Amino acid sequence: MRIFNSIKWRLQIWYGLILVVVLAGFGITAIQLERGRLYGRIDDELHRRVQILANALHRPPPRGLDENGQSFDRPPPGQFPDDGPPSQNPRPPLEFHLPPEAAGMFDANPNFYCFTIHSRDGKEIARSTNPTNQPHFNVFALSNVFLKGVAYSSVNFRFIIETLPSGETIVVGCSIAPELNELKLTAWKLAGFGTIILFFGLAGGFWFVSRALRPVENISAAAVKISAGDLSQRINVAEAESELGQLAAVLNSTFARLESAFAQQKQFASDAAHELRTPVAVILTQTQTALNRERDAASYKETVEACQRAAQRMRKLIKALLELARLDAGQEKLKRLQFDFSKTVGECVELIRPIAEERRVKIVSELESLEISGDSERLAQVVTNLLTNAIQYNRDGGEVLVKLKIKNGFAALKVSDTGAGISAEDLPHVFKRFYRGDKSRTGAANAGLGLAISKAIVEAHGGTIEVASKEDVGTTFRVNLPL
Amino acid sequence: MRILIVEDEPDLLRSIAQALREEGYAVDTAPEGEDGFYKAESYDYDAIVLDVMLPKMDGWEILKRLRKIKKTPVLMLTARDQTRDRVRGLDTGADDYLVKPFDLDELFARLRAIIRRSANKTTNVIEIGEIKIDTALRNVSLKEKPVELTAREYALVEFLALHRGEVVTRTQLYEHLFDENESSLSNLLDVHVSNVRKKLGAEFIVTRRGHGYCIE
Repeated sequence: MRIFNSIKWRLQIWYGLILVVVLAGFGITAIQLERGRLYGRIDDELHRRVQILANALHRPPPRGLDENGQSFDRPPPGQFPDDGPPSQNPRPPLEFHLPPEAAGMFDANPNFYCFTIHSRDGKEIARSTNPTNQPHFNVFALSNVFLKGVAYSSVNFRFIIETLPSGETIVVGCSIAPELNELKLTAWKLAGFGTIILFFGLAGGFWFVSRALRPVENISAAAVKISAGDLSQRINVAEAESELGQLAAVLNSTFARLESAFAQQKQFASDAAHELRTPVAVILTQTQTALNRERDAASYKETVEACQRAAQRMRKLIKALLELARLDAGQEKLKRLQFDFSKTVGECVELIRPIAEERRVKIVSELESLEISGDSERLAQVVTNLLTNAIQYNRDGGEVLVKLKIKNGFAALKVSDTGAGISAEDLPHVFKRFYRGDKSRTGAANAGLGLAISKAIVEAHGGTIEVASKEDVGTTFRVNLPL
Repeated sequence: MRILIVEDEPDLLRSIAQALREEGYAVDTAPEGEDGFYKAESYDYDAIVLDVMLPKMDGWEILKRLRKIKKTPVLMLTARDQTRDRVRGLDTGADDYLVKPFDLDELFARLRAIIRRSANKTTNVIEIGEIKIDTALRNVSLKEKPVELTAREYALVEFLALHRGEVVTRTQLYEHLFDENESSLSNLLDVHVSNVRKKLGAEFIVTRRGHGYCIE
């Protein structure tokens, strides 16, 4: 069931149950107390009446009977029941005389107090006549079943059985219907009150839980949109203070990083595609132009050469892209071998010297012999790239200074040129992929990936690469590699 | 029709220029932005093919500056194909937008379209009396019969037809029919005009002495 999986509903059900139990306990206790109070009052009344009835019974001094064998003081029929046939009991029969002011305590009372009095041998001495007088009052056996002097309730009825020391049994009862009604009313009131409290409790709880869990809904809504591809979604953080608010803030920053990573990837892909478009355009237009009509051999040769240049450029670009992608994915397995870095740098310098001489750039190298562990081929690539840049962007007759020494436990390589320098605007971006200061493709071989690749290689070795530049003075690249 | 191409990739520049020349256009080229802007503001080209990424001054900048002084139709050529780039190009005042790599045929068609639009023509076919000029197929017919014209002759007819009713000066014709590399031999134009008159009728091109030529 979905409802039982929802924290909100589980909480609701849980405290709803607790609320019901508490309210029911409270209500039942209240009803019990009220009933006890009402019964106590009634029981007092019953006891008082037993006392009055007991007082109304009195035995006259022994005397003769009349010719009918009946006592003289025969009570009026109906109100004072017969004492029964003359017994062999030597004792004179009991006389029962209820004082008139006491009579009002029975019949006229709204609770219809009633009574029966039986003699020791089970004969009925007297009974009230009001309609409440229940049949079971006739059953003398009652007195043997119930404890004396204790009040009992039957359906709508409460009674006391009391046996006098002289042996007579008095049963006094009354209707407790009014009290029960009152009790019922109180119970309904309590139930109503409880329901209202329960309602407000649940409603308030619902509101509170919903409010507390709203960030969760926001979070999941945002997460759904993000997984559907809309990476610009953020969680609306209304309560930054609460635990969920903090969670949302953390998630938001994660989403932001995710988005920027995606954006970078997208930018990279689009830049790569962009770089490939121009050589493809060259090939397409060259071939289409060439095929438009018959041409001479020289013209065809020219076309083929242009296509070759474009293809070479694409090959270089694809190689660089693959290299970057591998370095990004950590797939590029870097060799970890101890080697003489100064030797590697020296070789790179010698390899590039002819190009430098062509541009009339002088290379000065000061190399301290040192060993580092890493991939010599990859690091040579970095050095060559830095040297190529230093020569390419140098002025005519300029100088390139290459310095290698141990500094603070690092192999510190410095390559500085005497070129035009990089503007402060471009400087922070030189290691970015496809970033080119002059915003053009001059120098078609250079797609703006060289420094990005160098940076990736150096960082894969646990090193750092940084640049400093002054316009019209020159640029210095510093590479630090752990020894 | 004289066209300027501003493109920094030399192989691309050369092949587009060659293809357009073979189509009968007069073509000027500029390998970087500053040169491109200088040429664009100096001559009244019939259209400019402008690359976006250029050294010295990029395509956007050239377009922005050019639009302050001229309405020359501009076709932007770029390697970026994202919508915002297109929107930016068109908003800056480019008349059309072509993403690299492209087919030459498409480039030609788009160039014809922006030139036609700038001359307020909606179709490729211009009818003048019994003469029909199809600017897409680059042919001319007289009384439903095709007339053989050289590329230069066709260009002359097309330029005058697109400016029908206007007097076109000799300087204008030189500027639009010959590119920067051709020495403008002053009688070359007269030769072309007389050849066209032979093929399409003497009254087709009217000479306004001291002013220039006109198709009425």
